[in-house]
Amino acid sequence: MPSSSIAAPAPLPNVTATLETRKTIRVLAIGSSSTYGVGASSGSKNYPAQLTDILERALKGINIEIINRGVSGEVAKTTAERLRVEVALTHPDLVLWQLGTNDALARVPVEEFEDTVTSTIQWLKENKIDVVLVGLQYTARFARDDNYAAIRDALRRIAAQQNILYVRRFEAMRYISSVRNAPIVANDDLHLNDLGYHCMAEHIAHAVIANLFVRRFRPPTN
Amino acid sequence: MRAPNEIDFWRGFALATIFINHVPGIFYERFTHRNVSLSDSAELFVFLAGWSLRYVVSDPGQPVPAFRLVLRLVGRAVVIYAAQILITVLAIALIAAAALYYDAPLILEWHNASAVFEEPVATHIGLVLLSHQLGYFNILPLYVVLMTAAPAIALLDRASPWLLLAASLALYLYALLGGLNLPTWPVEGRWFLDPLAWQLVFVLGFLIAATDRGLGAFARQHRQALRVLAVPFVIGGGLAAWFHYSPDPLRVPDPKLFFMFDKTFLSPARLAHAIALVGLFAGGYRFVAPALPPLARYLSMLGRNSLNVFCVGSVLSLAGQITRFEYGGGIITDTVVIIIGIVALGVTGWVSEWRDRLRARQGPQPSPSSPPSVSSPPVSSRRAQTT
Repeated sequence: MPSSSIAAPAPLPNVTATLETRKTIRVLAIGSSSTYGVGASSGSKNYPAQLTDILERALKGINIEIINRGVSGEVAKTTAERLRVEVALTHPDLVLWQLGTNDALARVPVEEFEDTVTSTIQWLKENKIDVVLVGLQYTARFARDDNYAAIRDALRRIAAQQNILYVRRFEAMRYISSVRNAPIVANDDLHLNDLGYHCMAEHIAHAVIANLFVRRFRPPTN
Repeated sequence: MRAPNEIDFWRGFALATIFINHVPGIFYERFTHRNVSLSDSAELFVFLAGWSLRYVVSDPGQPVPAFRLVLRLVGRAVVIYAAQILITVLAIALIAAAALYYDAPLILEWHNASAVFEEPVATHIGLVLLSHQLGYFNILPLYVVLMTAAPAIALLDRASPWLLLAASLALYLYALLGGLNLPTWPVEGRWFLDPLAWQLVFVLGFLIAATDRGLGAFARQHRQALRVLAVPFVIGGGLAAWFHYSPDPLRVPDPKLFFMFDKTFLSPARLAHAIALVGLFAGGYRFVAPALPPLARYLSMLGRNSLNVFCVGSVLSLAGQITRFEYGGGIITDTVVIIIGIVALGVTGWVSEWRDRLRARQGPQPSPSSPPSVSSPPVSSRRAQTT
């Protein structure tokens, strides 16, 4: 799969720095639905859990601690408030924030969505916490929906401006569904099943690992 | 039916604003008081629920025997629990129907409903245990817990209202110190409104409603001083809300929950603001009622039937969201949603009182023809007060 079109690469400076001094990183997974693994065959197969497996296997000796705070159907504004509190109470090194789908459904004005997300990301950056945005799902019906597209564009724009990692789930799922016979979405044609989750976890893990190696083998010149 | 009064009026006010605030993104949200208020209608609703508990436990004549009191309160808890289950099932069906009708399975994710469809085995148990709550359907579970605790609250109050206040305050502080909250299951998380913290606003409502003893007597004695004291809280909270200020959770000292503006744990700032609002605006009804009689009558009618109105309002908010999804959020859609909602809430109140009105008309001594001015028959009023 062409990963460049799916996960926009961007640095994870704080996780990288943390790993140089400490062997444990703490990850807060927050946001709507798929965070806790709806449609996955068991709770242990949600994407944060799979991400832990992949990272721990790839980076021997590193311990990943995941805190799951997913609530399905939450708009970004609600999550943003919850996120600040959860960050203060759990002190994560990395936040995985899955967002967008429900704002598009609830017809939240795009500017409002953008403000909410941008200010939350800036707050996380100020506090030296990395963030990965996980974008909207792909469904054939919403591929044509203007509002859905607008939210998707907003996320891409925010990620570029803020230089943060953004998992383009929509593109990934569309790509997979066009080239694979295996059904990646569960029987409601929407939720990612275990395979879909695995892909998503791999994207994030790939980005984390790539960043670590970039840091390790290309000493900072500036 | 009771005559329109202050408690019912503010309850109706809370119900109407909860309905609007539960349609995220709706244009009219900007006119609700939470834009100029640190606390919102949830605090007011729970405070007034505590206030209403006072009417149930104190009979003006002889005190209700403890056993009968417990039965009555547990009965209320069961009714509220049944209402929660009913509206949850209606909401699930509404979400499912919308997903089918609009061929939009993403709708199944809304309101924390996805687990119901994706992990039905565990989630059905969670729904019955109230450990799985749909988004925006999280006030009644709190209310169920509070009414289940109501016998203990009422009996402790009989022993000593100050003891009750001390116990409630201790539990609140303990919950905030340790971040204690009930877990949700099967979706990993915590209750949106922590009963261990929120019980305090309920108990305060209950205590302040007592005119002749404890905190209620104290508040009435020092009414003017307290009112002056409330002003800076109300203004400060208003400015914070207006400028979207809230303390940075990472910058505040430990124990953090004491210094944040957190809703789940009802941080002290929100609680103080809610109580200050009550202190400042209590008595305001006597200015509103003569100035806007239809508004006073309408909101009082909602407040008199608050459980029914709340249930219909919850389902309508969801219907409003689905409408906005289909037609897009615009001022026309939003106006239609609001008008239908306001009318439907009123109809709910009116229909709920149908039987009372019939009974009043057919009774041996027919009452005067204008229903709202009928003085309250003790039994039905007590029933209505607690809803």
